[in-house]
Amino acid sequence: MQQPDHTEPTEQAGEHAEAAEHAAEGFDAGEVIIEHVANSSFEHPILHLPVLFGIDFSVTKHVFMLLFVATAVFLLITTTVRRYLRQDRLVPGGFMNALEFIVEFIRDSIVLPNVGAKYVRTWAPLVLTFFFFILAANVVGLIPIFEVVGLIDHYVLHTGEHSLVKNVIHGGTTATANFNVTAALATITFISIIIAGTLAHGFIKHWINLVPHGLAWPLYILLIPIEVMGMFVKPFALTMRLAANMTGGHIAILAILSFVFLFTELFESALAGISVGVLVSVPLAVGINALEIIVVLVQAYVFTLLSAVFIGMAINVHH
Amino acid sequence: MPGEREPFVSGSLRHLQDNIRRAGPAATASYSLIGAILLLGGGGHLLDRWQGTEPWGLLTGLLAGLVVGFYELAKTVWKR
Repeated sequence: MQQPDHTEPTEQAGEHAEAAEHAAEGFDAGEVIIEHVANSSFEHPILHLPVLFGIDFSVTKHVFMLLFVATAVFLLITTTVRRYLRQDRLVPGGFMNALEFIVEFIRDSIVLPNVGAKYVRTWAPLVLTFFFFILAANVVGLIPIFEVVGLIDHYVLHTGEHSLVKNVIHGGTTATANFNVTAALATITFISIIIAGTLAHGFIKHWINLVPHGLAWPLYILLIPIEVMGMFVKPFALTMRLAANMTGGHIAILAILSFVFLFTELFESALAGISVGVLVSVPLAVGINALEIIVVLVQAYVFTLLSAVFIGMAINVHH
Repeated sequence: MPGEREPFVSGSLRHLQDNIRRAGPAATASYSLIGAILLLGGGGHLLDRWQGTEPWGLLTGLLAGLVVGFYELAKTVWKR
């Protein structure tokens, strides 16, 4: 869905001042959308941090969202549970009630049927962590926090060109829309599959279990490489699905909203843009946003469900 | 309020889950088909760029991706 006419994403943050001048000349929908969806460039991260062990620890906007969501989820859930455990009578109320409902739901209807009663307590915490983190990251990505901060900055604060606020507000961000984030999550699943199989059957038996038993030996020459490659494909499919779904919604909403500016330019009248906005763009964008709320939930659910299914497949082998 | 909304929330969650569970195998199969082709084709392309063996890595990767993808598809389809 990328527009062909966008410039290289790495140059964009640096060209922000020029982009303001460009805006007077013409509206480039592709550039706006890519700038919104892409990570901030490495030359202008939000926060410069030193390079340790060859890894640049600078905080770009996706890294910022990642840390923000992780901290928020950790604090919210640990404080709620701690406060609940400190009570005299263990009756959940309010947020704890909802939390308990979700935890029980995931443990009993995602982990238990797939993993089996013996290993529920081993794998439920991991699957729950996946679910809460992905759901939180997806939901926070839907809320245009930084656009609001940007508006306040534009009209009230007037911070400098490369200040912290200016660097942060380049577009809304979904941490799970970054392929690196989802790849990391899927890598955890990948390692968990191996650990689950090893715990249940022993290390060597786990690898033997990968291929079906009782076939003619020439088939194994064909099947073993295919199964080994399939082992990598499953987490890769997880990576792709989550990141693509999270990026796609943002691109669709922005593309539809940019009709307003494109039509304004096309007919050289603000009235055309406004009427397209009122009649087409805004209702459609609201609809897609509503759809996104479902997608956010479904993708968090699907990732956790499939992780549980894959872990379960390593434990309950049936060929 | 929670007592009143609980049945609605749990009911819709149950329906959602039901639908996803039924759609699950299809979603897995489709994404592993595309995922296999992209992953192995991309891997072959990277191998090409690294070793300078221009079209062959990509071609082998795409072919392997097709085979693995369809194998995974067949596994999910023939399971039941």
